[in-house]
Amino acid sequence: MSEQVRNDGGADSEAGDLVEIEEILQHLEDMSFVAHRDAKEALPAIREFGAGPARRWIETARDLFFHDREAGKSFMRHSARMAEHVGGVEPWRAQAAEFARWVNSADALEGFMSQADRVFAAWGEDGEREWYATGLRWCERSLPDARAYFETDFDKLAAGRGIEGLRALIDPAETLFDERGLTLDCYLEGAPIARNLVGDGGLLSWARRGADLLKAGRSRGEAYFRLESDESLKLLLDALPGFRPRMHGRFLRLVMLAWLDADIPLADSSWKPGEGRPMLETDGRRLFMPAVMDSREEALVATQHAAAHLAYDTYALSRVERLFERAGSEHPPLDDRSRITWRPLFAAFGERMFRFQILFDLAEDLRVNARVAPRILRFLERLVRLAEAYERPAEPAGTYFDFALRAHRALLEGREPEDPRLARMLEPDADVVTAWEVAEELFADGAFPEITIEERAEAYLPGLSLNAALPVYPQRERNGELADFRDHEAHDEHKFEHEKQEEQPQQAPEDAQKDPDADIQTPQQETSGTGGRIGTGIPQPAQVAKRAAPYTPKKDGILYPEWDYREQRYISDWVNLYERVLDDEAPDRAAEILTRHADTLKRLTRGLEMQRPMRPAPLRKQMDGDELDTEAVIDYVADKKAGLSPKAFIYRRRAVQHRDTSVLMLADMSTSIMARHPGGQGKIVDRVREGMMLFAEAIDRVGDPCAIAGFASKQRDQVNYYWLKDFNEDLSATVRNRIAGVSGRLASRMGAGIRHSLEAFRRSSAQRRLLLILSDGRPADYDDGGDQRYLHEDTRMAMKEAVDAGVHPFCVTLDPSGSEYLPAIFGPGHYTIIDHVDELPRRLPEIYLRLRQ
Amino acid sequence: MKNLINRMRGVERDVIDKPGQDGSQGGAPFYKPQADEVEIFQAAYAKRLPVMLKGPTGCGKTRFLEHVAHTLGQPLVTVSCHEDLTSSDLVGRFLLEGEETVWQDGPLTRSVKEGAICYLDEIVEARTDTTVVIHPLTDHRRQLPLDKKSQIIDAHEDFMLVISYNPGYQTVLKDLKPSTKQRFVGIHFDYPSEEVEREIVAKESGGLDADRVEKLVAAGRKARALKDHGLEEATSTRALAYAGELMQAGLSPRVACRAAMIAPITDDPELIQALEEIFDAHFPESEAA
Repeated sequence: MSEQVRNDGGADSEAGDLVEIEEILQHLEDMSFVAHRDAKEALPAIREFGAGPARRWIETARDLFFHDREAGKSFMRHSARMAEHVGGVEPWRAQAAEFARWVNSADALEGFMSQADRVFAAWGEDGEREWYATGLRWCERSLPDARAYFETDFDKLAAGRGIEGLRALIDPAETLFDERGLTLDCYLEGAPIARNLVGDGGLLSWARRGADLLKAGRSRGEAYFRLESDESLKLLLDALPGFRPRMHGRFLRLVMLAWLDADIPLADSSWKPGEGRPMLETDGRRLFMPAVMDSREEALVATQHAAAHLAYDTYALSRVERLFERAGSEHPPLDDRSRITWRPLFAAFGERMFRFQILFDLAEDLRVNARVAPRILRFLERLVRLAEAYERPAEPAGTYFDFALRAHRALLEGREPEDPRLARMLEPDADVVTAWEVAEELFADGAFPEITIEERAEAYLPGLSLNAALPVYPQRERNGELADFRDHEAHDEHKFEHEKQEEQPQQAPEDAQKDPDADIQTPQQETSGTGGRIGTGIPQPAQVAKRAAPYTPKKDGILYPEWDYREQRYISDWVNLYERVLDDEAPDRAAEILTRHADTLKRLTRGLEMQRPMRPAPLRKQMDGDELDTEAVIDYVADKKAGLSPKAFIYRRRAVQHRDTSVLMLADMSTSIMARHPGGQGKIVDRVREGMMLFAEAIDRVGDPCAIAGFASKQRDQVNYYWLKDFNEDLSATVRNRIAGVSGRLASRMGAGIRHSLEAFRRSSAQRRLLLILSDGRPADYDDGGDQRYLHEDTRMAMKEAVDAGVHPFCVTLDPSGSEYLPAIFGPGHYTIIDHVDELPRRLPEIYLRLRQ
Repeated sequence: MKNLINRMRGVERDVIDKPGQDGSQGGAPFYKPQADEVEIFQAAYAKRLPVMLKGPTGCGKTRFLEHVAHTLGQPLVTVSCHEDLTSSDLVGRFLLEGEETVWQDGPLTRSVKEGAICYLDEIVEARTDTTVVIHPLTDHRRQLPLDKKSQIIDAHEDFMLVISYNPGYQTVLKDLKPSTKQRFVGIHFDYPSEEVEREIVAKESGGLDADRVEKLVAAGRKARALKDHGLEEATSTRALAYAGELMQAGLSPRVACRAAMIAPITDDPELIQALEEIFDAHFPESEAA
């Protein structure tokens, strides 16, 4: 220390330094009580390094304080610690003094002072100098950016890779600041996570894209950098290795369907890159899949395991109630969507609740896996193989991981579990309550180490996940039977949107974001509003009392009767229908659809050539024609020789063979088609438009008379019937634009739509008339009193009327559960289900062409 | 003489052959009853009522008929109907032979005359004028009018008419007329129960071992769950039998399943993956060799 004193002392004497320090202290005391106090508190620690440094320190403190009180205070507050850790007063004193060059640099200085000592310790003097110099450059650019820089943990910036990591992260930001004015505070929101995914090399292009978006719109750009917008996620996910469940949703569903006869819908979870291990979650109606999972194998195990939970009553209301009974409490009031969770019960374990949660899930997972294993071949094998290939997590999670793996391996090999406590889970009458009891037993065992929430996810075998991640719609006891599992609201746009908001509230409030278990306390959003989806999911009252809400109906449109099955009679003039022209034209979209499907259209056209009248599928046995019909000639001659007098129909003719078919496509244009595409991008209506467009093009090429119409209803007195193309209209640009402008509205009173279509058919003279109905759900309307059967029966009667009128009705539906009610309405064989929306555009024309053959 | 040689070579045989006449050995073609279809058919046969066989592709309609015809000792004449089938294709026509014209009976007329079971397969494919020809045969008259010859043929007492009809959506526009439909006794077919299906596959494949038969049938039934989810026609019993035969012929189970049960029915990549997943799980790699 004495050395330092001499070196630092320089020309001034120590005594002179001390006098000056006292003077400055005196000055500070005159100016500010706080400054004086802070300086006095820090001074002893600084004095240890000599009077000269101390003098320079207090001069800096004074200068900073007079420059900006806050800056001076932070400098003084952190000084003692800094001096101690760095083992000196320089260079940080001089570095801090530089901040006085800017006004309002206090926040940046605070960030600098709070971690400079750690940077020093981690990266040494040179490293610290570069870290500081980088920050200082940001001070010159903009102070908020400098603040963001210094406030962000240096190790996070470097991703643990030292100064190299820091450079890799900051260089793109410096480039883009100069190029596009991208601010660092914005960039730093997502860059550290993005860098982990796209690597140093991809970072610049990732950020440049964001900078462009930021120029286009501030909020959009900021969302990009917060990794909240689809654009940034998509870009990142593209770079992320692994299996994308969204791309393979249909495959996963089909596999579940085949093994368990369970049609369980999949949806995207709110998981984002950088949020730890991606896990599947369920709310009892859907499985929420993360955007990326490690492998196809893991995704298969995860979906099948989740289905097992649903099948074997993990979420059965009765069982969950028993859990609460055991604990001597009641389930807290259900949220307004009547969902349940047992998470409040974990509270009893206080700080150690995560330890209990893992053990509880472990026992329950083992139970359902054992139950489902005989039904899904290779399920356990796959799970164990995955777990064995998985890198064993570090302690404490490793202990749990091994324990679960051993139990599953024993199960696979048909052995008794090594731990006798788990044996109870495999008994036939075990249920989720047993799992709780077993978990309590295991909890008492000190062999399981304490574990924190951060380490929790690693304790699970791959494919398995937290069982109480989301509140769950209570299930009835299924006991393995999933055949009737239905997606009640798959097409329910309103609900869907609500749920989207609701399942992801964690991101919205600042503090909730930091708590991965926020949903315990987060109040549920109000979702009980009006205007539910019509078509599949109107809220249904328990009893059916009335036909309709009482009000005076309008009667200025075209009136149609309706069939009331309860009275077994038609009610005349019951429905009021208006013909309307759809005025939403979308020429741009029309062109886009045609371009996008140019290939399909080309293929269709080629197929159509086969059906075209031009093709020499010549007319045989004609009165006159281009060539002789050999067979007819022989018949003719033979008959003549036999003494008959046959007529000379002996020619073949390549004439236009008029297949006399006319078709009217009637599309359900209710709100439900505006629902999000289950596979991700876009909406269902996009496919509907494309399907109609290709249909229209295809029919136009075949040359059949064709009309396209849509219908939507709002109670019985307002059924709107939209002509997109009438029989006598050509497929003009206007028609195309109308088709491209189709959007969903209101409900679907199908019977009236059909009856009006029959009227239209009267104008067509074709022999064969086909009414092709494109629907995406049950017929329903706001005023059907909750009685699904009413409109079902009415539609069925409308079908009969159609058949009587010589029209063949055929229904194409997008509703996967269509086979429940369509046979009753249309009759078996008179409908087809397209459960994969993307196929609609291609299938629609195909279906028609097959029907008309 | 030529006919005799051809008959010996097995190249050609007359459509109307009583079972056993064609020189084939053994008993009736294998058929495992699923429910009461044999009883219904025999009762209908006893009264010579026309029968309609309904059911999905590949569930055994044709085989059933071959079987009962054989057990009844009745010749079976099968006509596969198609769009261009005319009534003279069924009934007959005049042919020129030298300076003469000779009347040639169609398969239907021969059956009527000689007392065979006439089977019109996929009748909806034929033109409506064709189906009208059979009307007088299907009611109490049991007559076939030959307009060209100005004759009416009373059916042989053993004659019986059977049609098959696969209610699928491709038939919406050419459904049978109700007036035709109601003339028949209907027998409904579906894919057999698991146990029956195992027996069928074992038999058809020519002795595939029980373990693989069991797996094959189990896998096929799982695959059937995917009907309406992209599969228009479910995995049929016939496809299962084909897969069994391919295995028996030395193909590995996985390859056999792909060839017989996936490749023919779908081009949808996700569906293919899902089906492969199912078949592969039943026939794991280790056993594939």
